[in-house]
Amino acid sequence: MATLTPTLTLNSADATSDTVNFSVTDSLNVTGDVVSLSRVALSTSDLTLFASASYSRSYVYLKNTDSSIAMDIDFGTTASFNLAAGEFAFFPWHGSQNILAVADSGTPVLEYALWEA
Amino acid sequence: MATTTATVSISSGDLQPGNNLSINASSTLMKTGLTTGMELMEMGNAEVAKDYEAQLFSDGPATDNGAYWIYICNNSTDDTYYIEYKVHETTIGALYAGDWMFVPYNASDADAEIEVKALNGTNKIEYAMFKTAWTLPAAEA
Repeated sequence: MATLTPTLTLNSADATSDTVNFSVTDSLNVTGDVVSLSRVALSTSDLTLFASASYSRSYVYLKNTDSSIAMDIDFGTTASFNLAAGEFAFFPWHGSQNILAVADSGTPVLEYALWEA
Repeated sequence: MATTTATVSISSGDLQPGNNLSINASSTLMKTGLTTGMELMEMGNAEVAKDYEAQLFSDGPATDNGAYWIYICNNSTDDTYYIEYKVHETTIGALYAGDWMFVPYNASDADAEIEVKALNGTNKIEYAMFKTAWTLPAAEA
């Protein structure tokens, strides 16, 4: 069993008069499959990034490496979020719906990794 | 306009022999498009009782086209406690004691409300939403 340590930090010196300086970390057990840090060029057609049949409870890291094009990350057919240029996401995933990725336009590159709990 | 930077680092010393994992990604919170800015932070904490399903972030009007991010952390200390989170009735994942998540959020999507449900115990959660487009509501007459 391996240990994964994710840390989130948020900083702003000028959002308000009170400086934003926030950090949270965690220690996660990885006992299953690992999808090592990888990159894929998306298109305007859905790409199944992680198939629900292949993974159980996991932690997912995604980053849109493009400097201008956004992409949609869909969970099955009903839920989604939009990953704008340069943005990242880190979240736990049940593995109950496929995770799909599709570019708003062009061929932006998505960076991704997965660790099964 | 204010500049706010979000950074995630993910590390592991024992995932692969001889190959330490060290991911670092940083992003400036942008308005829709590539304009720097964050105008509002909403944050708080709550207790969610077992089997209680709470709406943490409601969906906004279709005109609500700003960029948003949400942070949710399960601050419970009992490692058998966990909450599921849903986007519009679709369960995406579970946050166990100490786990956190940070994702963008489609506030303008009428089917994008964020819900949490405690599956074991009374979970202590903290949460925040970061908004980049915010207009103060008009005063009541």
